[in-house]
Amino acid sequence: MTRQKYIFCYLMLAPALLVTAALGIYPMLYSLWMSFVEFDLLRVNQFGTPFVGIDNYLAVFADPRFVQTVLNTVLFTAFSVAGVLVFGLLLSQILNGKYRGRTALRMLVSVPWFVPPAVASAIWMWLLNTDRSPINFLLQDMGLITSNIRFLSDSTTWGPLSIPMFSIIAVRVWNGLPFAIIFILAALQSIPASLYEAAEVDGANLWQKFWYVTLPQLRPVLSILTLLLVIGGLGSFEINYIMTGGGPQNLTNIMAVYSYQQAFSFFRFDLASAASGVIFIMTGFISVFYLRSQFNKGTR
Amino acid sequence: MTVVQTNAERPARLRPGLFERFSSMSKVDLLTRILVVAATLALLAYILLPVYWMVKSSFQTNGEIRALPPAWIPQDWTWQPYLNANRLIPLWRYVMNSLFVSGTAALLSTIIACSAAYVLGRFRFPGATLILGLILLTNLIPAITRVFPIYFFIQNLNLLNSYVGLIFAYVGFSLPFAVLMLRGYFETAAPAELEEAAMIDGCGHFEAFWRVILPVCLPGIAAVAIFTFLNAWNDFLWASLLLNQGEMKTIQVGIGDFAQEGGSVQYVNAYMAACVVATVPALVVFVFVQRWLVGGLTAGSVKT
Repeated sequence: MTRQKYIFCYLMLAPALLVTAALGIYPMLYSLWMSFVEFDLLRVNQFGTPFVGIDNYLAVFADPRFVQTVLNTVLFTAFSVAGVLVFGLLLSQILNGKYRGRTALRMLVSVPWFVPPAVASAIWMWLLNTDRSPINFLLQDMGLITSNIRFLSDSTTWGPLSIPMFSIIAVRVWNGLPFAIIFILAALQSIPASLYEAAEVDGANLWQKFWYVTLPQLRPVLSILTLLLVIGGLGSFEINYIMTGGGPQNLTNIMAVYSYQQAFSFFRFDLASAASGVIFIMTGFISVFYLRSQFNKGTR
Repeated sequence: MTVVQTNAERPARLRPGLFERFSSMSKVDLLTRILVVAATLALLAYILLPVYWMVKSSFQTNGEIRALPPAWIPQDWTWQPYLNANRLIPLWRYVMNSLFVSGTAALLSTIIACSAAYVLGRFRFPGATLILGLILLTNLIPAITRVFPIYFFIQNLNLLNSYVGLIFAYVGFSLPFAVLMLRGYFETAAPAELEEAAMIDGCGHFEAFWRVILPVCLPGIAAVAIFTFLNAWNDFLWASLLLNQGEMKTIQVGIGDFAQEGGSVQYVNAYMAACVVATVPALVVFVFVQRWLVGGLTAGSVKT
């Protein structure tokens, strides 16, 4: 009976396992292997793919553009995750209240979710067009600025930060916010009302209720959400690739875009793989952390 | 209940009226509330302005869209940009391509995911945790880390610029997500007693799954299929690599390329019209699955 059950299990799993192995695990490992050999598409026929150890990693880290890219990625991720969390917490509080029109508000807030990233990039590019941005006109009318802000092309920098970087972060936050809101909202609804009642008896104000009841109750959900957002941020590609292509002057370049450009503009698949290897190591590390917490939760 | 009643006398179960709520509120709370409402309004503007701007621009005439300062409300509404978009790029063909590729990929990955999710959620057997861990890992680690080998793989199979190659990639890309969502769903929607009863009646494992569990879980399965459809529909990265030639492009790549073909300069209204067209199917589908969102997303976390 047990043997029959096992056979059934493995048969049912076989197609999924095959697909995961062929299109998930194997390509990841193959990509790691590519990062340890020489793989220049223009030379591969003549020289093959000799093993070069960590030379590719040394090469990308010797490239100041890549170093800047790594820094950009970390900042991009940090700012967009922080933005999503803060705005998400605030809006989910509002959406959790009881009042008329709440359902409509929820729908409105989740609008950016079903806007595909390619479209999101396109509409923000038009919205942030230097000469025709309504935001520029609004700010000029209010007298806050005298010349148009060049949202996507201004190359003035403050350290690693720049206006285009913040524009890109704003788009990322915009696209990712609904996911966080739905996620937090589900958790908010499972907080027992008795906790708030107890806090009220103790004379807590709104801010204290949020700080001492809501936040601690949300902690497990928020930490999972943060992990997911960080992983997503580190591997993010579309918005930067379409909106700025990493420019101006590499200011908005992130690792995934750098990797893509190395591969398909310069045909250096080894350097591209080393760059994506860095993403793999960073996200893999976080993922293992995440998996461990998930599996531990079950056995407790 | 009258407004003059003090807090102490008020019966606990009755909800206070609006006026009373504000008057009984401490100054700190009032300030917090005002700040929160103000912030919410600002955030709503941030969320909705781009969408409004897209829709508005897609109905403006060529002359009007170039006017300075930009008009907040179109003076003469026109369908022309939509017709132009379809003249400038094969818009409907792109939409059909996307529908076909995403639909097929969703169907295939849901079928494969169903059987895997069922055994992973229901049975304990050697290697189950490892397999689940691998699937989770594939779901978590960003796609860019496996793009190049898959590109060569598809190229070696001579499937670059074919629907089959892209569908293949999408199945691999959405399968882990589908397995995780369905696994959570099977656990909650189909109690183990169901197939135990079926097996007492003489069903085998597969028959119990096929005849009893699947029909019960059909709504959840449909939701997962729609989600995997949406994932594929929204994708830009894979499509831009594996299928970027001529009329076979998906709508996302079509829009990405339209920007370079004058969409961002000469034909902005047509470009925005194309964007609206690329969003509407996702919107329609989204409205249908909205109810399942929460459960499906949280099911992604493992509950062993």
